[in-house]
Amino acid sequence: MFLRQREPLIFERSVPGKRGMDLPRLDVPEAQDTRPAHLRRSSFDALPELSEVDVIRHFTRLSKWNYGVDDGIYPLGSCTMKHNPRLNEKVAGLAGFTDSHPMAPDALVQGNLELVYTLQSWLQEITGLPGVTLQPSAGAAGELTGVMLIRAYHLSRGAQRRVILIPDSGHGTNPATAAMAGYDVVEMPSQPDGTISFADVTDPSSGKVRKGLLSLVAELGPEIAGAMITNPNTVGVFEYRFKEISDLLHSIDALVYMDGANMNALIGVARPGDFGVDVMHLNLHKTFSTPHGGGGPGAGPVCCAEKLRPFLPVPVVVRDTVKAGEGAEPTHTYHWDWDRPQSIGKVHTFYGNFGILVRALTYCLSHGSDGLKAATLRAIVNANYIRVRLQGAYALHIDSPSLHEVVFSDTLQAKREVHTLDIAKRLIDHGYHPPTIYFPLIVPGAMMIEPTESEDKYELDAFCDTMLTIAREAEEIPEALHHAPILAPLRRLDETTAARKPVLRWQKPAAVQA
Amino acid sequence: MRYLPSSPIEDRALLDAIGVADAEALLTGIPEPLRLRRELDLPTQSSEQEVAGQMQAMANRNTRFCAQFLGAGAYDHFVPSAIDALISRQEWFTAYTPYQPEISQGTLQHLFEYQTLICDLTGLEVTNASLYDGGTSCVEAALMAVRVAKKRHTVLVSRGLHPLYRDVLATNFAPHAELNLVEVGLKDGVTDLADLQAKLSSDVAAVLVGYPNFLGAVEDLAALAGPIHAAGALLVSVTQEAFAFGWLEAPGRVGADMACGEAMSLGNKPTYGGPFLGFLAVKDAHKRELPGRLVGQAKDLQDRTGYVLTLTAREQHIRRDKATSNICSNQGLVTLRANIFMQLAGPEGLRGLAKQNAAKAQYLRQRLLGLPDMAVVDDQPFFNEFVLRYTGDYAALEEACLQESLLPGLDLGRYYPEYQGCILWCATELHTRQMIESLVEILARVPATV
Repeated sequence: MFLRQREPLIFERSVPGKRGMDLPRLDVPEAQDTRPAHLRRSSFDALPELSEVDVIRHFTRLSKWNYGVDDGIYPLGSCTMKHNPRLNEKVAGLAGFTDSHPMAPDALVQGNLELVYTLQSWLQEITGLPGVTLQPSAGAAGELTGVMLIRAYHLSRGAQRRVILIPDSGHGTNPATAAMAGYDVVEMPSQPDGTISFADVTDPSSGKVRKGLLSLVAELGPEIAGAMITNPNTVGVFEYRFKEISDLLHSIDALVYMDGANMNALIGVARPGDFGVDVMHLNLHKTFSTPHGGGGPGAGPVCCAEKLRPFLPVPVVVRDTVKAGEGAEPTHTYHWDWDRPQSIGKVHTFYGNFGILVRALTYCLSHGSDGLKAATLRAIVNANYIRVRLQGAYALHIDSPSLHEVVFSDTLQAKREVHTLDIAKRLIDHGYHPPTIYFPLIVPGAMMIEPTESEDKYELDAFCDTMLTIAREAEEIPEALHHAPILAPLRRLDETTAARKPVLRWQKPAAVQA
Repeated sequence: MRYLPSSPIEDRALLDAIGVADAEALLTGIPEPLRLRRELDLPTQSSEQEVAGQMQAMANRNTRFCAQFLGAGAYDHFVPSAIDALISRQEWFTAYTPYQPEISQGTLQHLFEYQTLICDLTGLEVTNASLYDGGTSCVEAALMAVRVAKKRHTVLVSRGLHPLYRDVLATNFAPHAELNLVEVGLKDGVTDLADLQAKLSSDVAAVLVGYPNFLGAVEDLAALAGPIHAAGALLVSVTQEAFAFGWLEAPGRVGADMACGEAMSLGNKPTYGGPFLGFLAVKDAHKRELPGRLVGQAKDLQDRTGYVLTLTAREQHIRRDKATSNICSNQGLVTLRANIFMQLAGPEGLRGLAKQNAAKAQYLRQRLLGLPDMAVVDDQPFFNEFVLRYTGDYAALEEACLQESLLPGLDLGRYYPEYQGCILWCATELHTRQMIESLVEILARVPATV
């Protein structure tokens, strides 16, 4: 699978005089140099000189050190690594979309506005929430937008509230977002199944008491702006008292934010708008199959209840319907509404990661209502199949059906000094990308497996057989697993030294000696 | 459904193994009142052929142009064929964040090279693996400057900064009652030095200046750096057109302490404004306050060089509410486009392209100024964008251009009332002499208004 030879840094391949790009003939007079002398570009120190062949080979070889969704199951929990349909890529590359300019007048980009409007209506129906903005560039940007909506809501009612409640099982982006939006974070303890504890929780080892939801609401009441809750939670369990939680928070006029990272478990089965969610984000790069791109670009649309709509970022797309006469087919035109006095403002320079929106709508149209629901059900079946096949060999964190992902821990293997990291690295030797590890934080040695709906029984069995082999290896040759991976291009990397003495760019050798 | 592996036989086998009658039995964890007991009110599934047709029809409803003379933060440049070919490899576009370095060295080494080249372009020492776009890069730069400066609460923003970047800054500063965002005015199309000096104080953490600014003018960073540094503040240069780095001296070499902005020009099309490529480069001394993902060199057990995500103690998954930012992704594939572009261009390609952009813009300006209703506004040095006053009616000019499939420059009055009746024009290497001549010809025919 991997290319065995080393590919040097491109800077070591540079040869003066090579060219990877020929410029067109200049058909106007040469530029006059109007720059002040000190603002003329002087040297470049790193830009390499290469031919197109060099560049193509470099990036082709480097690519072979990556693992992608087409290589096989990519079971990163909470990341929803599903198949990326090629049609979506082709459509996103249509010149009608890629050549369109974000500052062009609305009348010239009617296709784009129709696309935004149409995708918004799909997301409205899927979430049961009437307000939508597609502007946030990623899940975390969506969270920030959503929390700013909450803040704007309270300000409009003359109240500035201080606190956002977040369960200890939540993604790290939740507290980081709340802080960026100017809030203090108060952590809610969870029960063993990752659901939020209403009652106070006593830590069995330290004896320390952590206040549960009821105590926090009683104590902080009017200071609470809202809560950020992932549902299904990061253990893959539906927050079964969600409606009670939202009713309780609404009773003190606090709002409910839902982190929609795990929406792949709910589409067509349950709608956040029906269980009291006021605002949430979706990750188009997870649930709606837009490619992860080695870390991005993503898109994090925000959906909200009617009461938060006035605060949505500007501009908001509006559809105007014209009917030529009695019985005539209505025709639609679209425009951006910038005149939204209560809006929080802009959260992206233009309209968000538009190219990603094109892919997400293509996904929606391909699946349709029936395909979306079928995908949800299959994702859940796949996760439970893995649960059943691996239970016994690995310790299940909770012993009940999961939704779209399943969390194991390393407690059985830890007896032989084999830990989650060893298991993950050994999976690489067997040709698989490891699952999400050591998250959620509430499960020690967590291995969070999310197969998605894309995997068939053959692929699931192959992965499970490998996990079972590793469990046997942990019994029989525990020492060996500490050395994994041995078949990847590199062995384990020393991340501690990398952080202690960071080298964050290449420098010309001479400059290093200086 | 072609993307799902379902078949009645296989579905049965999976359900039997799990020990349930149907998938519904696995949903018992969702309380019945919260279940959706109807089908979603949306169209049902469609074939690839049908969807391709629908999407093509939507794309066709956008107006196409022979030439766009509009820049203003989104620039139309030539994209070498190697870029789309390479990024279409599944190993690049379907992979995720390189959490497992042994199986992600491709992405990690690419990002290390990308970081090196952004540092080279900006003349600074450390950059992250990218931010969302130009506007959000300004937010991260400003918030970082506040952390670096300690006990300073004001950020000055030149009015020459992209108006939408300023909007994004305002949105993100609103929740922070303790912070002030103050505008510094323009004089003759560049940041007003007197106004800047009047507003500098011991409370100012940073000053954000466009380089070149939104009006296309080349700000003299070196001249601004003097008073800014004397006041103990940081100079943040904001570049919305990365091709300018082939024409103008690196901001880090002329006084900028931080450089941020938009690098979509490196290998991307305008795509209605995204996905774009935000960047933020800083000095080594400030690296631990940098937001976002960072890649560093590491050694493996056999002392071979590799790459890892590093300095993660700054980030949300470790620090939670104490993190430098909530950002948890980057613009991955867009950084790859930019890296491939920069490696193909090399130093001579980037300089040559920049020079052609300057030549085309100068020629466009000279030809437009030959028209009786166009006039110089601020006579500042510029790169590939410039402002002219137009004494005619913009709507008539726009109409005439659209008739001939040309997209004219930006009507500036919408963003700058003081530039009412002025147009921001842009030309790149894509504009042939013939396109420029047709534009001039069309404009010459626009009827004069009273």
